[in-house]
Amino acid sequence: MGSEGDQVRAGLTATLAGAGRGRVAADRLCAGCVDLLVVDGAGLSIVSAGAAFRSLGASGAGAREFDELQFTLGEGPGLDAVESAAPVLAADLDGPGGKRWPAFAGAATRLGVRAVFALPVTVAGFPVGVLCLCRRRPGPLAGAALRGGFLAAELAVLPVLDVLGIDMNAAVQDDTSTAWDELGSLMRSEVYQAAGVLTAQLGVPPAEALVRLRAHAFASGMTASEVAYQILDHSLHLGDDAAGTESGRERF
Amino acid sequence: MTDQRERNIISSFIGFADRLVDDFDVLELTTQLTQDCARLLDVAAAGLLLADAAGVLHLLAATSEEARHLEAFQLQREEGPCLDCYHTGRPVSVADLTAETGRWPRFTAVAAEQGFASVHAIPMRLRRDRLGALGLFGTHPGTLGEDDLTLAQGLAHVASIAIVQANHRMGRDDVLPALQAAVVSRAALEMAKGVLAEVQTIDMQEAFTRLLDYAHRHHQRLSDVARRVVSGGPGSARLLDDIAELAATRVRSTTGHGSPTASSTPDPVS
Repeated sequence: MGSEGDQVRAGLTATLAGAGRGRVAADRLCAGCVDLLVVDGAGLSIVSAGAAFRSLGASGAGAREFDELQFTLGEGPGLDAVESAAPVLAADLDGPGGKRWPAFAGAATRLGVRAVFALPVTVAGFPVGVLCLCRRRPGPLAGAALRGGFLAAELAVLPVLDVLGIDMNAAVQDDTSTAWDELGSLMRSEVYQAAGVLTAQLGVPPAEALVRLRAHAFASGMTASEVAYQILDHSLHLGDDAAGTESGRERF
Repeated sequence: MTDQRERNIISSFIGFADRLVDDFDVLELTTQLTQDCARLLDVAAAGLLLADAAGVLHLLAATSEEARHLEAFQLQREEGPCLDCYHTGRPVSVADLTAETGRWPRFTAVAAEQGFASVHAIPMRLRRDRLGALGLFGTHPGTLGEDDLTLAQGLAHVASIAIVQANHRMGRDDVLPALQAAVVSRAALEMAKGVLAEVQTIDMQEAFTRLLDYAHRHHQRLSDVARRVVSGGPGSARLLDDIAELAATRVRSTTGHGSPTASSTPDPVS
C-alpha cells in the first residue's frame, strides 16, 4: 500500500493509543476519522438484538445526533449497510441515489449533509455495528480515504466488542499491544473455529462467543490463539460462570 | 510433461473456466484451486493469502482445514516468503528452508515442525494492485522449474480473477471491498466449521466436507451455508440436522451398510 495509506493507518492507530476501551475509544476513533479521512463527521453505532441500534461513539455532539437520525427515521445508509453486511456509499443524498431513503435524505440535506458513507463493522461476517462517515460536500470518497474508512471500520470491532462484553478496563492494563496487534490476534483460523465451538456449546451469537474467548484470554494472561487451541482440544470449557458473563455485560 | 499430467492441467483450467462463467462461490473455487495446485505441482500443501485494507495477509483457502496445519500460512502475516512476495509483487522461491533461519526465524521453525522443507510464493495481482500471494509448501528441498512456476502463476491469476469477478457480480468496481468480503466469508466459514465440529463430534476437515457436500447438493453457495449455520435460531438447528442426515447418507452409500455414524477424513497433510 502507498505511503498515504500508511499515514492513515498510523494516524488511526495513534488515535486509539492509550484511549482506553469502549465508548472512549469509539469517540476517539470517530474523531480520528474526521481528522484523517477528510469527512465532516463520524459516528459509530452498535447493533443489538438484530435490529436495534445504539450510538456508541461520535466525533462530536452534532455527529451523534445526525447518526441517530436514521435510527429514528428507520431508514438510511447505516441501516442498509448492516442489513446487507456490505458498505453503502451514498455520494449525493440530494441526487437520485438519495431517493432510496426519502425521509432520511430530506432531513440530511436540510442539515447540510450531502454524502454519507456507511461501513459495516463485522465479526466473522456478522454485522455488530456500523461506522458512518458524513460530509457536507457531495461526491465519492477518494481511494485513500475509502481505504482509511475500511481500516477504521476494522478497528471499530474492538470498542464494539468491549461494549458487548464486560467492562474490561480492570482486566486490560497491557498498553504494550497496539489495537492492530489485538485485532490480528483475534483474526485467526483457530480463534474463529473455537468461537464456533463456543457458539454451539453456549448457544450464544458469534460475536458474544468471540467476546467470551477474548475475555478469558485477558483474564488468564493467555493469547487468544492459546485459548482457542485449548477450546478446540476440549481441555478448556468456558461455562456460564466463565469470565465474560459478569453483570456488566450488555445483552446482545 | 507427461501426457497424463498435461491432460490434468488442461482439465483443471477448463474446470475453472466453467465455474467462472457460472454462479460460483469464492471460498469453494479457491479451495479447489489450492487442491489442484498441490496435485499438479506436486507440493504437500498450498494456501491462498489475501491482503486486507491494512495490507495484512489473511488465509482465504488451503489444502487443509485443520487449524494446526494453517499455522505456517497464518505466520505469513508477520514474516515469511509469502509476505515478502506480497510486498515485492515477485515470486519468492526457497529451495531449502534450513538455509533461511536467519531471515525468517519464527516461520522456518514452524515450517520445520510441520515437516516442510521448501516454499514457493507466487504473487496475486490485478493490473497494478497487489492482492495477496499463493504459497506452495513442499516436504522435500528443491526448486520449481520454469514450467511449474508459469503454471503456478496461471493458477494464481485464476484466483485473482475469481475474487474480482465475484465483486463485479455485486456491482462494484473497487477491488478493496472484494478482498474484505472474501476475508469476512472465510471467518464465517471457520466459525461454521467450529459449530459443526462441536455439534456432530467431527474434526474440522470433515466439518468442511459436510458443509461443502450440503452446498453442492442444494445448489447453494458454501459461504451462504456457513453463514446460516452460525446465525443461530431454529433455522440453524434444522440446517445442522439436514447436514448430519446428508453425511449419514454419504457414509451409507460409500460403506455399503447402514451405519449412521460419520467417519473422519484422514489428515491431508502428513
